[in-house]
Amino acid sequence: MQEPKVTMEVRKADGGAVIDIVGEVTAACEDVLTDAFNQATDQGAKAVVFNFAGLEYMNSSGIGLLVTLLVRANRNGQQICAVGLNDHYRQIFELTRLDEAIGIHEHERDALAAAGV
Amino acid sequence: MTMRQRLIALPFGRRRRKSGVVVEATGAGPRVEEGPQIDIAPNDPIVAYFERAGGAVDIETLDLDSPARRALLDAGMKLVVPLISQGELIGLLNLGPRLSEQAYSSEDRKLLENLAAQAAPAVKVAQLVRQQEAEARRRERVEQELRVAQLIQQQFLPKELPELAGWQVSAYYRPAREVGGDFYDFIELPGGKVGIVIGDVTDKGVPAALVMATTRAILRGAASRLDSPGEVLGRVNELLVPDIPPQMFVTCLYGILDPATGRFVYANAGHNVPYVAHRDGVVELRARGMPLGLMPGMSYEEKEAELGSDDVMLLYSDGIDEAHDPDGEMFGFPRLMGAMRTAHATDAVIDNLLGELARFTGRGWEQEDDITLVAVRRTSGRESTFAQQITDMSEMEGAAGDGTVIDEFSVPSETGNERTVIERLADPIARLGIEPSRLERLKTAVAEAVMNAIEHGNKQRQDVPVDVRATTDGEHIRISITDRGGGSELPDPETPDLEAKLAGAQTPRGWGLFLIKNMADEMSVSTDGKHHTVTLTFALKGAADEHTAV
Repeated sequence: MQEPKVTMEVRKADGGAVIDIVGEVTAACEDVLTDAFNQATDQGAKAVVFNFAGLEYMNSSGIGLLVTLLVRANRNGQQICAVGLNDHYRQIFELTRLDEAIGIHEHERDALAAAGV
Repeated sequence: MTMRQRLIALPFGRRRRKSGVVVEATGAGPRVEEGPQIDIAPNDPIVAYFERAGGAVDIETLDLDSPARRALLDAGMKLVVPLISQGELIGLLNLGPRLSEQAYSSEDRKLLENLAAQAAPAVKVAQLVRQQEAEARRRERVEQELRVAQLIQQQFLPKELPELAGWQVSAYYRPAREVGGDFYDFIELPGGKVGIVIGDVTDKGVPAALVMATTRAILRGAASRLDSPGEVLGRVNELLVPDIPPQMFVTCLYGILDPATGRFVYANAGHNVPYVAHRDGVVELRARGMPLGLMPGMSYEEKEAELGSDDVMLLYSDGIDEAHDPDGEMFGFPRLMGAMRTAHATDAVIDNLLGELARFTGRGWEQEDDITLVAVRRTSGRESTFAQQITDMSEMEGAAGDGTVIDEFSVPSETGNERTVIERLADPIARLGIEPSRLERLKTAVAEAVMNAIEHGNKQRQDVPVDVRATTDGEHIRISITDRGGGSELPDPETPDLEAKLAGAQTPRGWGLFLIKNMADEMSVSTDGKHHTVTLTFALKGAADEHTAV
């Protein structure tokens, strides 16, 4: 198995949690992503904001992982939002219609406000 | 029409057509039956007469020496109304005697002339439709033949090249749109020796492909029984002569290489003379012999050459030396030899040659004949042994030439190497002036395709390479990704649907092919049973960004 080339720091913010992603979102980062999401959930975050400003690369496996998290978040009654996406990945979110399930925002505070927390 | 009369419309043309129709008006409704058919030769004076007549013509009183007039009279016709469309005679309305046996009145004629004026354009349209249908059927047949010829040809090219310790073997084959009869082969022989064959059947298409397949089979049989290349060619000739269609023959070079010593014993049946690039120059490997299949009782001179360390031997077909540039000048042997001079001690002799050829023919060249190149190089010991085989079907797919090669390389099948591929391609492609957003899409699509090749095609066997080839024609970039999983199904054929995935009805994964299809301007997939190639095309620039609006 490949080494994950990513770090995901979890920050508390206004009743939600922000996960700062720096590096690559691929199949290799499954554990890191799951850990970060669990940590945010354990903190009681009703809204989880993924900050993709440090995203270097995301592939179809990474998208698959996000969908898996979405399923879990729906079950937990959590909201997932995204900030910091560049044009290319924003386009991919639109193409895959992930943007309908994951709110895309410019700023963290907009994301948290839209999530109603 | 109150009169009971016979009315016959005969479309007119060079070829006989079975289209005369008799309409008989009766109380019970019109009865339609085939009428007699009358041929009018294009040079019959009656054609010019009809075109100028401007109305109904009494055929009995017409004073003209015309075979068609006689035929019309013999068929019992009385009155003929020419059908004229845009000044051209396209058919006739032929009438026999009125059933009342009275002459046609001027009112009858007026009525018929009106009818003819209205019928003419309709008949013309019908003729054009029929012509077009015939043309479409003809084209379909031609395409079908091309596909069959291509299939036969591909079937009989070697599935893999021999791996010889201390040698680098590469082969390149690119059929022209109308497939010629090129072939090459490697035959394993006792004592670690290897038979090397290159040949070209005159003619093109299915007949050439069939003769090629036959020759190859006969040659393999002869090579397994006879040790001498000259005798092998003599034997093949004897067997081919009685069976080969007239006007067809095969040029063929056959040689036996001993990889241990570098000794190459060969004979030549009228094929292009191979070159060997030594340190101090290029030599031709000449040997006398007539092409195969022309006449029985031929003998073939046998010669010998020695390949030393770093020497490169090139076998080729006339598709390369007879390629023309836009001014009609031929690539020719001097250029080929010139390119060989720089080939000594490079392991990319075929790449160099193809680059040289691409520069010569220029952009948009339509390849005239099959191109086959086989290069055999003895390494100096430091370098690795390899066997590289490229079958380039781009010309067959109707592409306008292959363009310039941007890069060509292989990566081991290890997850993560998709990044290696796109990082290597990104800079040279960026320098071609691609729009940044398009470059991003290209990177995503190529990475996904390479990932599929690694994971699904090659099943993550690290020793199995994924081949990447990027070319450009100045307007598009074409990237081919080849794995060794020929014939295996493409992954995730199901269109991903987010709702279904969120509801657990689909796996969360399976976005790869979806991304490739949406990121690339074009995607095509081909397989030869062993290899599986995905080719992605991207325009360097696009008017509208059609992918952003979803």
